[in-house]
Amino acid sequence: MSLDTDLWWAVARSEEVTSKKPLSVDIGDQPVVLWRDHQGIARALEDRCPHRRAPLSLGCIRDNGLIQCGYHGWSYDGETGRLKEIPNMKDQQKFPPLYKANAFGVSEQAGFVRVCLNPKAEAPLSADPKYGYIGTVNVSCSHQEYLDALYDDPALILAIRGVRFSPYIMSELHEEGGMLVMERSCQWHPLHWPSHFVAEFPLTLLTRTHPLTGETHLTLRDDAFNDLLHAVLSPVPAARGVTAVRWRAELGVRRPGLRGAMLRGVNPLTVLSSIDGSKLRTTKPTVSLHGEDLRNALLDAPQDTHDQTVAA
Amino acid sequence: MLDIADRPASHDDNSAPPAGGSPIAMNVVNRWVPHNIVMRDSWFPVAHDYSVTGKPVRRAVYSNPIFLWRDNGGVVASEFHPNERVVRDKSDYTDARGRYPVMEHYGVVWIWLGNPLAADPRHLPSLPFLPPKGGLPRHMTATVRFESSAPISLENLIDLTHADFLHADVVGDERSDSETIETFYDSETVTMVRTCVNKSVAPVMKFFSGIRQPTQNVRQVIRIYLRSHCAIAYGRFSPGDDVPLFHPCTPETRDRTRMEMVMNTSNAGRMFSYVMPKAGYKVSRQDSYMTSPQSPRYMRHTDRKDLHSKFDQAGQRYRMAMMELADRQAKGDFAYRDNVSADCSDIIGLRKELFQF
Repeated sequence: MSLDTDLWWAVARSEEVTSKKPLSVDIGDQPVVLWRDHQGIARALEDRCPHRRAPLSLGCIRDNGLIQCGYHGWSYDGETGRLKEIPNMKDQQKFPPLYKANAFGVSEQAGFVRVCLNPKAEAPLSADPKYGYIGTVNVSCSHQEYLDALYDDPALILAIRGVRFSPYIMSELHEEGGMLVMERSCQWHPLHWPSHFVAEFPLTLLTRTHPLTGETHLTLRDDAFNDLLHAVLSPVPAARGVTAVRWRAELGVRRPGLRGAMLRGVNPLTVLSSIDGSKLRTTKPTVSLHGEDLRNALLDAPQDTHDQTVAA
Repeated sequence: MLDIADRPASHDDNSAPPAGGSPIAMNVVNRWVPHNIVMRDSWFPVAHDYSVTGKPVRRAVYSNPIFLWRDNGGVVASEFHPNERVVRDKSDYTDARGRYPVMEHYGVVWIWLGNPLAADPRHLPSLPFLPPKGGLPRHMTATVRFESSAPISLENLIDLTHADFLHADVVGDERSDSETIETFYDSETVTMVRTCVNKSVAPVMKFFSGIRQPTQNVRQVIRIYLRSHCAIAYGRFSPGDDVPLFHPCTPETRDRTRMEMVMNTSNAGRMFSYVMPKAGYKVSRQDSYMTSPQSPRYMRHTDRKDLHSKFDQAGQRYRMAMMELADRQAKGDFAYRDNVSADCSDIIGLRKELFQF
């Protein structure tokens, strides 16, 4: 899978990146190893030791913050990727610049660790808070198919306790500030009239999706325009056509009553780890068809219309 | 003719090739594709002799089917099962009846893969620490598999510094007062000698041989027979035991390896002689932990060159020797330029007094 190398992908949640054990993730076909050095800074290198191509994620993190390959013990600096130590070579511990692993750009904000394959790319700015409900799933579905499923029927990929997504759309997919935005009408679940007889919907789900990374901000609103739930869903293309999805969510204003109580308490958002194939196959591509045209138009537009530093 | 590779440690990928004037450039060696190397006209070890009985057992070398059974005490190696309704063509590697040249030696069954008319016992690798007629107890043998190509498994073996990390709980960590590596090679073999002074004592010897000292001097030899993908791994530990291991890496396919190992521990203490061969099961899993994900990364050509240190001298030589041999075979030259069956006791430093047959 060929990807734009200047994109920032939310490949991990902050909690997943530790100084105890390296974390293996992918950006498309590019394996990446993540860890936190002795200063607590998240680091990302290609998950491939340049000595014998073993995955660095099978190694360990040393007290000095270097990552050490578990095969022959070569140790690398996370910021530059430079080789720093070879065991038993006490006589030589300075190595030519060629001796390095590929280093990637890393940015950590709002509880996500984002990686850019271009280490010189400017990191995005985010004013988002760090939401407390979290999760990670790996879905056997391509990145674009995953986003198309989100557009056409969110129930294929996620569930919000007490909420049913209707097929009726309040605002079709459109461009807004470089993002793909749409709003879907929802009902309280399980007691509700059939949605095709309903005059007024009590809830809407607003989604704002980055046209390239697919990172999506979800907002569940009631008919009084109260934000009941905020979530960030970050699908990243991974190896073998899998989409790795990290998400964070937080409840908004407290809604009184029984239905509001259904949202409260434990985490109300579930991101499904698999997609029902029979439902996916028979879900008509409606929004996604339009979305594809819109996305292509956005990508053809001048770069600043989808500037990730603003949008994401 | 045995040459000595005393190439100085170098970090220059464009440096001159090691002594010996190889036509293979270092740049190519550092981008080798072992998956594409297929050797022929060689004896391959395919079974322990006790595994072959009247009932056919199935083996493979480079996916070529091999069925082994005994007929009147002798081993038959056929590319067809005796009950098979033959609907496929016979290969060029067998005689008119579809049978491979086969022989039993060192307690192992070997088949010749290549031109059947070229099969010659003189091309059988020398393993002077094993009784020629076999007969070692079964607890000194094991069958182990690797999910990697045979050359990757052998490169793993000859780069012994990996043992300090992957197998520290068996053979001890990397700490030693000094470490030297020498490499010897000819057109059919590569031999590496690693000498460590005051190395951390191997835990397996601490617990099962009663070694009380904190360190031991170690002389480890890895000798690889290139064509047959067989290796000798011979460790001399002082204080400690002499542990010679027959470590074949038979390429069942180009990316799966079978090892019919034999470790002659007949001179070691009773407990150690039973336990040490079993360590192969643990050590091989530790190796696979790295070689299994590593191997697919060597299936396709890449422009990116592997880096190396002075400890990789033997591994570099192994790659180069394999590529040279493969290059010769690709040109139709299958002749042996060096004698692999000549007694290698002196080369590996075998204490022959311990291994009299």
